[in-house]
Amino acid sequence: MEKYRICVIGGWCGNRMVMVAEHLQDLLKDKGTPCRVITHSVWESYTRPPASDLVLQLLPAFTENEIGCPVINIKPLLADLDHPATINKVLQHVQASYPV
Amino acid sequence: MSHNIYLDYCATTPVHPSVRDAMRAALDETFGNPSSMHSAGRRAVELVDQARAEAAVSIGCNAEEIYFTSGATEADNLALLGVMRQRSSGQAHLITTATEHHAILHSAAQLEREGYAVTVLPVDGKGLVDPLAVREAIRADTVLISVMLVNNETGTIQPVAEIGALAHERGILMHTDAVQGLGLLDVSVRTLNVDLLSLSGHKIYGPKGIGALYVREGVSVKPLAFGGPQERSLRPGTENVPGIVGLAAALRFTGDHKPSERSRLRALREYLIGGLKARIPGVLINGPAEQVAPHVISFSVPGVDGEMMLLRLSSEGIAVSLGSACNSKSIEPSHVLTAMGLPPEQIGRSLRVSLGYPTTQSELDQFLSIVPEVVEHVLSVEQSTPQ
Repeated sequence: MEKYRICVIGGWCGNRMVMVAEHLQDLLKDKGTPCRVITHSVWESYTRPPASDLVLQLLPAFTENEIGCPVINIKPLLADLDHPATINKVLQHVQASYPV
Repeated sequence: MSHNIYLDYCATTPVHPSVRDAMRAALDETFGNPSSMHSAGRRAVELVDQARAEAAVSIGCNAEEIYFTSGATEADNLALLGVMRQRSSGQAHLITTATEHHAILHSAAQLEREGYAVTVLPVDGKGLVDPLAVREAIRADTVLISVMLVNNETGTIQPVAEIGALAHERGILMHTDAVQGLGLLDVSVRTLNVDLLSLSGHKIYGPKGIGALYVREGVSVKPLAFGGPQERSLRPGTENVPGIVGLAAALRFTGDHKPSERSRLRALREYLIGGLKARIPGVLINGPAEQVAPHVISFSVPGVDGEMMLLRLSSEGIAVSLGSACNSKSIEPSHVLTAMGLPPEQIGRSLRVSLGYPTTQSELDQFLSIVPEVVEHVLSVEQSTPQ
């Protein structure tokens, strides 16, 4: 089971949030850094996300101080699942902090 | 702390107690089918007839010109498809505007697919369509012009009467979707120069699932459905008697309160806009300063995501609406704000607040006290996390 936990936070766009999470999970596995990617909809429940190593936000919900882990805004993935700059930012962060 | 403040009356309104009581009486005491010949059926017919007469009085037409529908979407579909399909495709032209409700725009798109000609006119930065542009768009085969009375996102009041007059000069039929205006503006089919008018129950403190289409006597409309003589075969199917009774009660209720509520809500709207400008530097009000309905305010806060603001406000118990909709494929910017020429960033940061009869200044004060905190928080998140 993957030890690195990523939480994708979304709002009303629940379907898109799931698509982004699945896409990132596949991508990270292909890159040799398999992760456990879960989703958390603040539209369904405006609560803090489950404990994670990295939070990816489709909308600006939380600061790093609020949830105690690194946060990256990934809003461009709403329009483009492969948005290069955003994907690179996620990959770089995961590769730099992935447990060895 | 949850505030439980509802500021989304353009989306729907609560059923007023007088409407609920009228409907309950119809449900409890008059369950007959209006098509039945026995006394229970006759009592139901009487209720429907009475409601039809009241609906007619409320918009200044004859009872025989009112056709009950399941809501305004059906009424809009019936108006556009029913009128246009009187002519063969390729021989009829429809004019409408880019900021109409999707019930109109999607019906127009369907007509285009069927081979009818459709002109969708642009609007200016205030959301107003230019009557001169309508005049220029008229062709020899133009059959129908459809322009909404009040825009549901910005409150813009369109010059329907002026456009209706020029339509009639050319022998063209005029339709308006009056859904958002009916609860606060004086709506008369004669004054507005319209031949068809759509209305809805749940936007005026009535029930959902009921609406009506006014069709001027002498105007031919083809039905969309078949199977019975109800509504003179234009809208067959057993009548929604409690809904019809509720619609009439809602029209009666709003008719009694319109003048006072119009001025009260207009003052509250100004109060809210003033409060927003005082508390949120750079806030942008979307839509016109004049020729605007007294209950709708669309605004954007630079740098602040609209959906996040909505969710934060919702978590505080405050219900407002969004200017953009997110679906499974992408964020869809509001077609209304887009047509008004607003930049995509401003559209994505837009919120709609809509006031209703129950709205109080105290509620707006609570809203105004919370909004700056919400703005500050969303801004802090946007600025503190890498994009």
